Amino acid sequence: MRDLKHLQYFEDLLQEANNELIVKAKSEGKVCAAFLCENTPEPLMNLGGTFGVRLFAPNTGSMDIATYYMTSLLCENSRALLERAIEGGFNFADCLVAPDGCTMINRCAENMELLHTMDGGKDNFFYENMEIALKGDENGVKLMRLQCVNHILNPLHEKYGIDISDKAIRAAVKEHNEICEIIMALSEFRKEEKPRITGYEFAVFTLATYVCPKYLIKKKLQETLKEVAKREPDDKPYRARVVVVGSEIDDVNLIKLIEDCGAYVAADRFCFGAFPGRLPIPMNDEEDALTQVARHYVMMSQCPRYMDMPKVYGRKQYVADLAKEYDVDGIIYQQVNFCDPWAYEKLLGSTMLQDDYGYPVLAVNRPYNIASSVGQMRTRVQAFVESIEIKKIQGGAK
Amino acid sequence: MKTVDIVYNTKKKKGETQYGKLFNDGKVRKRREWRGLKDTLYDFSRWLYLWGVVIDVTMSKGAIKGLFRYRWMSNYLAVPHAMDKFTMGMRDETLRITHTAMDFVVKDVAKCIKETLRGDRRCGNDVEFSNKCVLSDENAMTVFMMGFPMLKAILREIPTMFSANIMTQQSTMHYLDVAQRFGIPGDVCPMPEAEAGISIEDDFSVLGKCAVQVNTTCDGSLMGNGLIAKRLEREYGIPTFQLAAPMRHESPDVLDYAAEDMKACIKWVEEQMGVKWDWDAYFECIKRVNATTRMRWSWLEVNSTPYPQFYGAVFSLFNDTDYMGNCGRSADFPPIEKKINDLIIKGYKNKTMQAPEYRHRCIVWGVQPQYCIDQLYWMINCWGVIPLTDMLSMVVDKQFCEENKPENYEQAYKDMAYLNMNMIMRNKTHGGYEVLVDELWEHVERMNADMVMMWEHMSCKALNGLHGQFEDQARERGIHIVWVNHDLCDPRVFTRQQIRDEFSTYMRTVMREEPLDPTIEFLPDEHAW
Amino acid sequence: MKKLAKIPLIALGGATGTFAVLFTVYFFNLDEKFMAYCVDPILQWWYDNKVEHKYYV
Repeated sequence: MRDLKHLQYFEDLLQEANNELIVKAKSEGKVCAAFLCENTPEPLMNLGGTFGVRLFAPNTGSMDIATYYMTSLLCENSRALLERAIEGGFNFADCLVAPDGCTMINRCAENMELLHTMDGGKDNFFYENMEIALKGDENGVKLMRLQCVNHILNPLHEKYGIDISDKAIRAAVKEHNEICEIIMALSEFRKEEKPRITGYEFAVFTLATYVCPKYLIKKKLQETLKEVAKREPDDKPYRARVVVVGSEIDDVNLIKLIEDCGAYVAADRFCFGAFPGRLPIPMNDEEDALTQVARHYVMMSQCPRYMDMPKVYGRKQYVADLAKEYDVDGIIYQQVNFCDPWAYEKLLGSTMLQDDYGYPVLAVNRPYNIASSVGQMRTRVQAFVESIEIKKIQGGAK
Repeated sequence: MKTVDIVYNTKKKKGETQYGKLFNDGKVRKRREWRGLKDTLYDFSRWLYLWGVVIDVTMSKGAIKGLFRYRWMSNYLAVPHAMDKFTMGMRDETLRITHTAMDFVVKDVAKCIKETLRGDRRCGNDVEFSNKCVLSDENAMTVFMMGFPMLKAILREIPTMFSANIMTQQSTMHYLDVAQRFGIPGDVCPMPEAEAGISIEDDFSVLGKCAVQVNTTCDGSLMGNGLIAKRLEREYGIPTFQLAAPMRHESPDVLDYAAEDMKACIKWVEEQMGVKWDWDAYFECIKRVNATTRMRWSWLEVNSTPYPQFYGAVFSLFNDTDYMGNCGRSADFPPIEKKINDLIIKGYKNKTMQAPEYRHRCIVWGVQPQYCIDQLYWMINCWGVIPLTDMLSMVVDKQFCEENKPENYEQAYKDMAYLNMNMIMRNKTHGGYEVLVDELWEHVERMNADMVMMWEHMSCKALNGLHGQFEDQARERGIHIVWVNHDLCDPRVFTRQQIRDEFSTYMRTVMREEPLDPTIEFLPDEHAW
Repeated sequence: MKKLAKIPLIALGGATGTFAVLFTVYFFNLDEKFMAYCVDPILQWWYDNKVEHKYYV
């Protein structure tokens, strides 16, 4: 297929946490609201005068200092983030909001705070830890709303004078939804038998919407959407179509690796992915905007820390629905090394998707930076793709 | 560096003073300790009592079937062996305090086993009894049962996982292997992993009309519950309720959420079991909890003096049992607490000590290993380091509303929610660095400690995540911090001797000290129970 | 009468004997040695070979 015009641009943006668009937004006087987890309601980080950025640590090499602070048994994602913070790689942030969703990210945020990694010389910098609902119910929605007020909105208003009114939130949701709609429109192309966008390309554009100021990439995303709509797909068929499920994937090279092995990543159910992170937030005029945002994040979240059984079963149903909608042949459940929540979710998920829904599943652990384990991952994925092909030959992948 | 005065034992110790000769490389000790005539006869009488408890369990409904059905039952052959571990080197009031507390814990666990097997569909199959049972996690404060005196809370994970590993170090290995064979990685905390393994292998008793799970202690427990609940619901038709315990328990803006979920839980239990919540019973229970808290803090005051009396593994286990499994529900606990209290006062007045000298005063912090929890007594006998308290014993310090009036019911829900969130151990490992790190230094100061023995449970991400902060801050404060690694209940990762060696190495190389009893510096217990 | 007088002696002898046996078992840890070396291996064999498990995730 013809190269997409803006792909290289977005790939370059993803090489650094402090990319050129963040520098530009800061130079315009905007406040950078950094966050660490998909459970943080993003529109609230993107109110007028702020731009929200989910922190990630591309091209991480050594994590020695972070490992001293957090030991080698905490997930590599959390250690990579702390290492980058200690190095000064997140000094662009004006505040940090960390949900106490999983222990490791919580400890990462606490170390960032105790080591003053980002607040040097910044009088208004604040670190906030918020509670996240544990169940998908109205009680959880109320909690989420209160936590947003206490730990995002009030501090932003008090420290930076940000407008946190209902009107401002609605405007932020509108902007957020515009980006989501573009991503979802791009996602539709992945349903095609001969898709006009690769999983890797999709991952690049989606990841950019998390780590760059959204208002500065909107135009290029819109142009990309138009370009993809007119694109001629390759005739080259993929050997298998897969959904990738799991914890953080902020390294698009993982998606590239999977596709290099002959599997097309048709859908993505992971942190930094499209589902559910890029589903537009439905709004009405009957209820205040904040409650609606809180409800969306509580009810739509697919994070394994939601422990009520409807959520536990619901997460597997969600993956099965995605698999059906995107007509996939198999599912890859992956987790970053030393991630506790996904260690269990991977087991339960892979078992249920196989036994209850009849999908072939590959369950893998991987390092945070896939470059350190390319061979092993490639072997696993290749073997999985071959097993899917054999099943197809034998008369039915499911 | 901070130092404390050495406290010398003015009394000559009766019986033997070097305990290495009790050990060989067998599964159990060569023989029991000679403690002088009076204390040996006392210990003998308690041994008879323990065997009485074991025989009573064996004769109970479903027990024999349970013994031949469940692998975890075999660990209870080692009950007297476990008691020997906890009483090494003890005399006088210390011995009596330990026996009073630990024998009671054994009796409580025995009761749990009896009830579990009685109602178990595969063993006793007492359906009428089973229909009065509500299953609960081991790592949950059973507050939600305080107003249900007509029901039984069955903490089936206690005899299968928790107390089994105190009896024998090998108790969880098989279940961990099962869990890992099915795909749970080996780096997660072995406690929920073993529970998951027990569930996968179908080695949990099956009883009860419903089950309440709580997300305490940690991410692992939260996640393991889903796996266990799926089997309960889909295979055994036992409905489950997940009771939310917010992580940031010190933050006032989570309490309403927790209280609402507590209300929902109680309502759910009422519906499942066809009973009504009894406020009279609740307020009776909360009074007991308050009394327990006052008692425990007075014991900690004694431990802040040069003559601590109730400390170590048994102090921790007694508090675990009292707050979690019991949570004020049983009227049997107050008399035991009183008896212990009387012994503590007597021991303090007599300046009773366990070792010839107390060279260092130590706060034990971190998550302790079940299979090596007796190390705290070894520390005293071998190195003269007295553990003043441990992290798990630093549970709630506030008093809850006791007045039984309708206008207090809303507060009562909040109190229950608070207790639930501040579950033992979890109240420190979660909730922010303030409760885990800052509070440690407060206790060091208040109890006049010069040393911290840090149990570094290698799979506990909550604790390990602040490893560097502990190091940095201990250095700033001039406090010795002795890191002792373990993997909670898997002895294959760190053996008992490796754990002891870590402590001994620090004492020799940094403190430049020689052991009080060199015969126990190295013990051949790698294959022991 | 003589027989009646012997009863306390017999009882005392019996109690002493029982105490001696029990104390010997206690002091030399014979109870736990029996459990560890005789009973436990049988139980472990039983669990490994005779108990059927239904594995379920």
